[in-house]
Amino acid sequence: MLPLSLLRTAQNHPMLVELKNGETYNGHLVSCDNWMNINLREVICTSRDGDKFWRMPECYIRGSTIKYLRIPDEVIDMVKEETLVKNKQMRDQKGGRGGQNQRNRPAARGNFGNRPNKPQGGGQQKLFQKNKMPKQ
Amino acid sequence: MAAGLDSFVNHTVSIITSDGRNFIGTLKGYDQTINLILDESHERVYSTTTGVEQVMLGLHIIRGDNVALVGQVDEDIDNRLNLANMKAEPLNPVTH
Amino acid sequence: MASNDDKRKASNASQDQKEKKRKESILDLSKYLEKTIRVKFAGGREASGILKGYDPLLNLVLDNTLEYLRDTDDPYKLTEDTRELGLVVCRGTSVVLICPMDGMESIPNPFISQDQ
Repeated sequence: MLPLSLLRTAQNHPMLVELKNGETYNGHLVSCDNWMNINLREVICTSRDGDKFWRMPECYIRGSTIKYLRIPDEVIDMVKEETLVKNKQMRDQKGGRGGQNQRNRPAARGNFGNRPNKPQGGGQQKLFQKNKMPKQ
Repeated sequence: MAAGLDSFVNHTVSIITSDGRNFIGTLKGYDQTINLILDESHERVYSTTTGVEQVMLGLHIIRGDNVALVGQVDEDIDNRLNLANMKAEPLNPVTH
Repeated sequence: MASNDDKRKASNASQDQKEKKRKESILDLSKYLEKTIRVKFAGGREASGILKGYDPLLNLVLDNTLEYLRDTDDPYKLTEDTRELGLVVCRGTSVVLICPMDGMESIPNPFISQDQ
Protein backbone atom coordinates (compact mmCIF):
# COMPACT_ATOMS: atom_id res chain seq x y z
CA MET A 1 0.00 0.00 0.00
CA LEU A 2 1.34 3.44 -0.82
CA PRO A 3 1.44 6.12 1.87
CA LEU A 4 -0.15 8.67 -0.47
CA SER A 5 -3.04 6.28 -1.24
CA LEU A 6 -3.70 6.04 2.47
CA LEU A 7 -3.53 9.82 2.74
CA ARG A 8 -6.00 10.26 -0.13
CA THR A 9 -8.34 7.79 1.55
CA ALA A 10 -8.08 9.80 4.76
CA GLN A 11 -9.75 12.83 3.15
CA ASN A 12 -12.60 14.17 5.34
CA HIS A 13 -11.13 12.39 8.37
CA PRO A 14 -9.59 14.07 11.39
CA MET A 15 -5.83 13.87 11.72
CA LEU A 16 -2.81 15.19 13.54
CA VAL A 17 0.08 16.55 11.51
CA GLU A 18 3.47 17.27 13.03
CA LEU A 19 5.79 19.53 11.08
CA LYS A 20 9.57 19.39 11.06
CA ASN A 21 9.61 22.61 13.09
CA GLY A 22 7.75 20.76 15.89
CA GLU A 23 4.36 22.46 15.53
CA THR A 24 1.33 20.17 15.41
CA TYR A 25 -1.92 20.73 13.54
CA ASN A 26 -5.16 18.94 14.41
CA GLY A 27 -7.82 19.21 11.74
CA HIS A 28 -9.87 17.49 9.07
CA LEU A 29 -8.09 16.69 5.82
CA VAL A 30 -9.79 18.52 2.95
CA SER A 31 -7.43 17.62 0.11
CA CYS A 32 -3.92 16.44 -0.67
CA ASP A 33 -1.72 16.05 -3.73
CA ASN A 34 1.18 13.90 -4.94
CA TRP A 35 3.68 16.09 -3.04
CA MET A 36 1.85 15.51 0.25
CA ASN A 37 0.77 19.17 0.29
CA ILE A 38 -2.42 19.26 2.34
CA ASN A 39 -5.42 21.45 3.09
CA LEU A 40 -6.91 21.16 6.58
CA ARG A 41 -10.13 22.65 7.95
CA GLU A 42 -11.16 23.48 11.53
CA VAL A 43 -7.58 23.43 12.65
CA ILE A 44 -5.97 23.69 16.06
CA CYS A 45 -2.29 24.59 15.91
CA THR A 46 -0.07 23.76 18.88
CA SER A 47 3.31 25.42 19.31
CA ARG A 48 6.46 23.31 19.51
CA ASP A 49 6.62 23.52 23.31
CA GLY A 50 2.90 22.75 23.64
CA ASP A 51 2.25 26.00 25.48
CA LYS A 52 0.45 28.07 22.85
CA PHE A 53 -2.64 27.22 20.80
CA TRP A 54 -4.36 28.79 17.82
CA ARG A 55 -7.63 28.08 16.11
CA MET A 56 -7.69 28.45 12.31
CA PRO A 57 -10.70 27.91 10.03
CA GLU A 58 -8.46 26.36 7.36
CA CYS A 59 -4.82 26.11 6.36
CA TYR A 60 -2.52 24.92 3.59
CA ILE A 61 0.66 23.04 4.53
CA ARG A 62 3.58 22.31 2.19
CA GLY A 63 4.22 18.55 2.13
CA SER A 64 7.98 18.80 2.39
CA THR A 65 7.68 20.36 5.86
CA ILE A 66 5.72 17.45 7.34
CA LYS A 67 7.36 15.08 9.82
CA TYR A 68 4.47 12.66 10.20
CA LEU A 69 0.66 12.35 10.11
CA ARG A 70 -1.51 10.43 12.59
CA ILE A 71 -4.59 9.00 10.93
CA PRO A 72 -7.64 7.26 12.48
CA ASP A 73 -7.08 3.48 12.60
CA GLU A 74 -10.15 2.58 10.54
CA VAL A 75 -8.89 4.45 7.45
CA ILE A 76 -6.39 1.72 6.55
CA ASP A 77 -9.26 -0.72 5.97
CA MET A 78 -11.03 1.74 3.67
CA VAL A 79 -8.00 1.95 1.34
CA LYS A 80 -8.32 -1.71 0.51
CA GLU A 81 -11.95 -1.48 -0.53
CA GLU A 82 -11.44 1.65 -2.57
CA THR A 83 -8.47 0.18 -4.39
CA LEU A 84 -10.21 -3.08 -5.25
CA VAL A 85 -13.12 -1.17 -6.75
CA LYS A 86 -10.73 1.10 -8.69
CA ASN A 87 -8.70 -1.81 -10.03
CA LYS A 88 -11.83 -3.61 -11.10
CA GLN A 89 -13.07 -0.53 -12.93
CA MET A 90 -9.74 -0.17 -14.67
CA ARG A 91 -9.77 -3.82 -15.79
CA ASP A 92 -13.30 -3.55 -17.05
CA GLN A 93 -12.72 -0.32 -18.96
CA LYS A 94 -9.28 -0.72 -20.44
CA GLY A 95 -8.54 -4.42 -20.38
CA GLY A 96 -4.81 -5.12 -20.47
CA ARG A 97 -3.77 -1.49 -20.71
CA GLY A 98 -4.64 -0.75 -17.11
CA GLY A 99 -1.55 -2.45 -15.80
CA GLN A 100 0.79 -0.57 -18.04
CA ASN A 101 -0.73 2.78 -17.21
CA GLN A 102 -0.40 2.04 -13.58
CA ARG A 103 3.27 1.29 -13.85
CA ASN A 104 3.89 4.62 -15.52
CA ARG A 105 2.08 6.56 -12.89
CA PRO A 106 4.25 7.85 -10.07
CA ALA A 107 1.71 7.35 -7.33
CA ALA A 108 -0.58 4.70 -8.77
CA ARG A 109 -2.82 2.85 -6.40
CA GLY A 110 -2.62 -0.87 -6.34
CA ASN A 111 -0.15 -3.61 -5.49
CA PHE A 112 -2.13 -5.19 -2.71
CA GLY A 113 -1.14 -8.70 -3.67
CA ASN A 114 0.41 -9.60 -0.34
CA ARG A 115 -1.87 -7.72 1.99
CA PRO A 116 -3.61 -10.23 4.26
CA ASN A 117 -7.22 -9.76 5.15
CA LYS A 118 -6.89 -8.71 8.74
CA PRO A 119 -9.50 -7.01 10.90
CA GLN A 120 -8.32 -3.95 12.82
CA GLY A 121 -8.80 -3.60 16.53
CA GLY A 122 -10.48 -0.35 17.49
CA GLY A 123 -8.72 -0.19 20.83
CA GLN A 124 -6.44 2.70 20.02
CA GLN A 125 -9.02 4.79 18.36
CA LYS A 126 -10.09 6.33 21.65
CA LEU A 127 -6.57 7.52 22.29
CA PHE A 128 -6.55 9.28 18.98
CA GLN A 129 -9.84 10.99 19.59
CA LYS A 130 -8.57 12.24 22.89
CA ASN A 131 -6.07 14.20 20.85
CA LYS A 132 -3.32 13.29 23.23
CA MET A 133 -0.13 14.88 22.09
CA PRO A 134 2.56 12.32 21.44
CA LYS A 135 5.33 14.69 22.33
CA GLN A 136 6.26 16.27 25.63
CA MET B 1 10.86 -1.32 -6.20
CA ALA B 2 12.64 0.81 -3.65
CA ALA B 3 15.37 -0.23 -1.27
CA GLY B 4 14.27 -3.74 -0.37
CA LEU B 5 11.70 -2.79 2.22
CA ASP B 6 9.33 -5.30 0.59
CA SER B 7 10.44 -8.06 2.94
CA PHE B 8 9.52 -5.88 5.96
CA VAL B 9 5.92 -5.29 4.85
CA ASN B 10 3.39 -6.68 7.36
CA HIS B 11 6.20 -7.24 9.88
CA THR B 12 6.97 -5.37 13.06
CA VAL B 13 9.59 -2.70 12.44
CA SER B 14 11.47 -0.20 14.55
CA ILE B 15 11.86 3.27 13.04
CA ILE B 16 14.34 5.86 14.21
CA THR B 17 13.49 9.32 12.96
CA SER B 18 15.92 12.18 12.49
CA ASP B 19 14.48 13.97 15.53
CA GLY B 20 15.77 11.03 17.62
CA ARG B 21 12.42 9.31 18.28
CA ASN B 22 11.83 5.55 18.14
CA PHE B 23 8.55 4.23 16.68
CA ILE B 24 7.55 0.54 16.71
CA GLY B 25 4.72 -0.73 14.53
CA THR B 26 3.62 -2.90 11.62
CA LEU B 27 4.94 -1.68 8.27
CA LYS B 28 1.92 -1.57 5.95
CA GLY B 29 3.51 0.15 2.98
CA TYR B 30 6.14 2.51 1.67
CA ASP B 31 7.03 4.41 -1.50
CA GLN B 32 10.14 5.46 -3.39
CA THR B 33 10.84 8.36 -1.03
CA ILE B 34 10.64 6.01 2.02
CA ASN B 35 7.38 7.53 3.21
CA LEU B 36 6.12 4.78 5.51
CA ILE B 37 2.74 3.53 6.69
CA LEU B 38 3.05 2.29 10.26
CA ASP B 39 0.03 0.55 11.76
CA GLU B 40 -0.72 -0.08 15.45
CA SER B 41 2.36 1.88 16.33
CA HIS B 42 3.75 3.07 19.61
CA GLU B 43 6.60 5.35 20.54
CA ARG B 44 9.28 4.22 22.98
CA VAL B 45 10.48 7.11 25.10
CA TYR B 46 13.87 6.42 26.67
CA SER B 47 15.05 8.00 29.89
CA THR B 48 17.98 7.57 32.27
CA THR B 49 15.81 7.97 35.36
CA THR B 50 12.72 5.80 34.67
CA GLY B 51 12.06 2.73 32.53
CA VAL B 52 11.10 2.93 28.89
CA GLU B 53 7.70 4.57 28.48
CA GLN B 54 5.51 3.27 25.65
CA VAL B 55 3.02 5.72 24.12
CA MET B 56 0.29 4.15 22.00
CA LEU B 57 -0.16 6.11 18.76
CA GLY B 58 -2.05 3.99 16.20
CA LEU B 59 -1.89 4.54 12.44
CA HIS B 60 0.87 6.80 11.09
CA ILE B 61 2.32 8.08 7.85
CA ILE B 62 5.96 8.99 8.46
CA ARG B 63 7.52 11.19 5.82
CA GLY B 64 10.65 9.70 4.25
CA ASP B 65 12.77 12.85 4.75
CA ASN B 66 12.53 12.20 8.42
CA VAL B 67 13.43 8.50 8.52
CA ALA B 68 16.95 7.63 9.67
CA LEU B 69 16.57 3.87 10.18
CA VAL B 70 14.07 1.09 9.49
CA GLY B 71 14.78 -2.25 11.15
CA GLN B 72 12.80 -5.47 11.37
CA VAL B 73 12.00 -6.46 14.95
CA ASP B 74 12.34 -10.05 16.14
CA GLU B 75 9.08 -10.24 18.07
CA ASP B 76 10.21 -13.13 20.28
CA ILE B 77 13.25 -11.25 21.50
CA ASP B 78 11.30 -7.99 21.71
CA ASN B 79 8.60 -9.60 23.87
CA ARG B 80 11.25 -10.86 26.28
CA LEU B 81 12.60 -7.35 26.89
CA ASN B 82 11.88 -5.91 30.29
CA LEU B 83 11.27 -2.37 29.11
CA ALA B 84 10.10 -1.16 32.51
CA ASN B 85 13.60 -1.73 33.92
CA MET B 86 15.47 -0.51 30.89
CA LYS B 87 17.18 2.85 31.26
CA ALA B 88 18.85 4.59 28.36
CA GLU B 89 19.81 8.02 27.13
CA PRO B 90 17.34 9.37 24.59
CA LEU B 91 18.86 9.80 21.12
CA ASN B 92 19.85 13.25 20.01
CA PRO B 93 18.23 14.68 16.91
CA VAL B 94 20.22 14.61 13.70
CA THR B 95 21.47 18.09 12.92
CA HIS B 96 21.55 19.13 9.31
CA MET C 1 -11.17 1.57 -37.77
CA ALA C 2 -13.33 4.56 -37.00
CA SER C 3 -14.46 3.01 -33.78
CA ASN C 4 -10.85 2.38 -32.83
CA ASP C 5 -10.00 6.02 -33.44
CA ASP C 6 -12.96 7.08 -31.39
CA LYS C 7 -11.85 4.85 -28.59
CA ARG C 8 -8.37 6.30 -28.67
CA LYS C 9 -9.75 9.83 -28.69
CA ALA C 10 -12.01 9.07 -25.78
CA SER C 11 -9.19 7.48 -23.84
CA ASN C 12 -6.89 10.43 -24.61
CA ALA C 13 -9.56 12.86 -23.49
CA SER C 14 -10.00 11.06 -20.20
CA GLN C 15 -6.25 10.98 -19.72
CA ASP C 16 -5.99 14.68 -20.48
CA GLN C 17 -8.64 15.32 -17.90
CA LYS C 18 -6.76 13.26 -15.34
CA GLU C 19 -3.54 15.08 -16.21
CA LYS C 20 -5.24 18.42 -15.74
CA LYS C 21 -6.72 17.30 -12.46
CA ARG C 22 -3.35 16.19 -11.20
CA LYS C 23 -1.57 19.38 -12.19
CA GLU C 24 -4.19 21.68 -10.77
CA SER C 25 -3.07 23.00 -7.41
CA ILE C 26 -5.08 21.95 -4.37
CA LEU C 27 -4.67 25.51 -3.12
CA ASP C 28 -6.82 28.18 -4.71
CA LEU C 29 -5.14 31.42 -3.65
CA SER C 30 -7.63 33.56 -5.62
CA LYS C 31 -10.04 33.27 -2.70
CA TYR C 32 -7.51 35.12 -0.51
CA LEU C 33 -6.83 38.00 -2.95
CA GLU C 34 -7.18 41.39 -1.21
CA LYS C 35 -7.54 39.54 2.09
CA THR C 36 -5.05 39.28 4.92
CA ILE C 37 -3.26 35.96 5.16
CA ARG C 38 -0.78 34.52 7.65
CA VAL C 39 2.32 32.92 6.18
CA LYS C 40 4.92 30.77 7.94
CA PHE C 41 8.34 30.26 6.39
CA ALA C 42 11.06 27.62 6.58
CA GLY C 43 13.44 28.65 9.32
CA GLY C 44 10.72 30.08 11.54
CA ARG C 45 9.83 33.53 10.22
CA GLU C 46 6.13 34.43 10.25
CA ALA C 47 4.32 37.28 8.57
CA SER C 48 0.86 38.49 7.66
CA GLY C 49 -0.23 40.75 4.85
CA ILE C 50 -2.84 41.50 2.23
CA LEU C 51 -2.46 39.09 -0.70
CA LYS C 52 -1.97 41.15 -3.86
CA GLY C 53 -0.72 38.44 -6.20
CA TYR C 54 0.69 34.93 -6.48
CA ASP C 55 1.91 32.34 -8.95
CA PRO C 56 1.66 28.53 -9.10
CA LEU C 57 5.04 28.17 -7.35
CA LEU C 58 3.56 29.89 -4.29
CA ASN C 59 5.57 33.08 -4.74
CA LEU C 60 3.41 35.71 -3.06
CA VAL C 61 3.00 39.48 -3.19
CA LEU C 62 1.91 40.82 0.18
CA ASP C 63 1.06 44.40 1.08
CA ASN C 64 0.96 46.07 4.50
CA THR C 65 3.09 43.16 5.65
CA LEU C 66 3.71 42.63 9.36
CA GLU C 67 6.52 40.35 10.48
CA TYR C 68 6.13 38.66 13.86
CA LEU C 69 9.49 38.90 15.57
CA ARG C 70 11.01 35.95 17.34
CA ASP C 71 12.93 35.27 20.50
CA THR C 72 16.60 36.13 19.92
CA ASP C 73 17.82 32.72 21.10
CA ASP C 74 14.94 30.55 19.84
CA PRO C 75 14.08 31.08 16.16
CA TYR C 76 10.78 29.21 16.55
CA LYS C 77 9.44 31.17 19.53
CA LEU C 78 7.38 34.23 18.70
CA THR C 79 7.39 37.33 20.90
CA GLU C 80 4.75 40.05 21.05
CA ASP C 81 6.95 42.31 18.88
CA THR C 82 6.21 42.98 15.24
CA ARG C 83 7.75 45.12 12.53
CA GLU C 84 6.26 46.56 9.39
CA LEU C 85 7.68 45.38 6.08
CA GLY C 86 5.25 47.08 3.71
CA LEU C 87 5.07 45.64 0.20
CA VAL C 88 7.02 42.39 -0.16
CA VAL C 89 7.52 39.44 -2.47
CA CYS C 90 7.69 36.09 -0.62
CA ARG C 91 9.70 33.33 -2.25
CA GLY C 92 7.44 30.32 -2.80
CA THR C 93 10.03 27.66 -2.02
CA SER C 94 10.35 28.87 1.57
CA VAL C 95 6.61 29.03 2.29
CA VAL C 96 5.61 26.37 4.82
CA LEU C 97 2.03 27.30 5.68
CA ILE C 98 -0.71 29.65 4.53
CA CYS C 99 -3.92 30.40 6.37
CA PRO C 100 -6.45 33.24 6.35
CA MET C 101 -6.00 35.77 9.18
CA ASP C 102 -9.78 36.13 9.38
CA GLY C 103 -10.91 33.56 11.96
CA MET C 104 -7.42 32.79 13.26
CA GLU C 105 -7.20 33.34 16.99
CA SER C 106 -5.07 32.42 19.94
CA ILE C 107 -6.96 30.11 22.31
CA PRO C 108 -6.35 28.46 25.71
CA ASN C 109 -5.33 24.79 25.74
CA PRO C 110 -8.28 22.99 24.09
CA PHE C 111 -6.98 19.51 24.99
CA ILE C 112 -7.03 19.81 28.79
CA SER C 113 -10.70 19.04 29.35
CA GLN C 114 -10.50 16.01 27.07
CA ASP C 115 -7.55 14.62 28.99
CA GLN C 116 -9.38 14.55 32.31
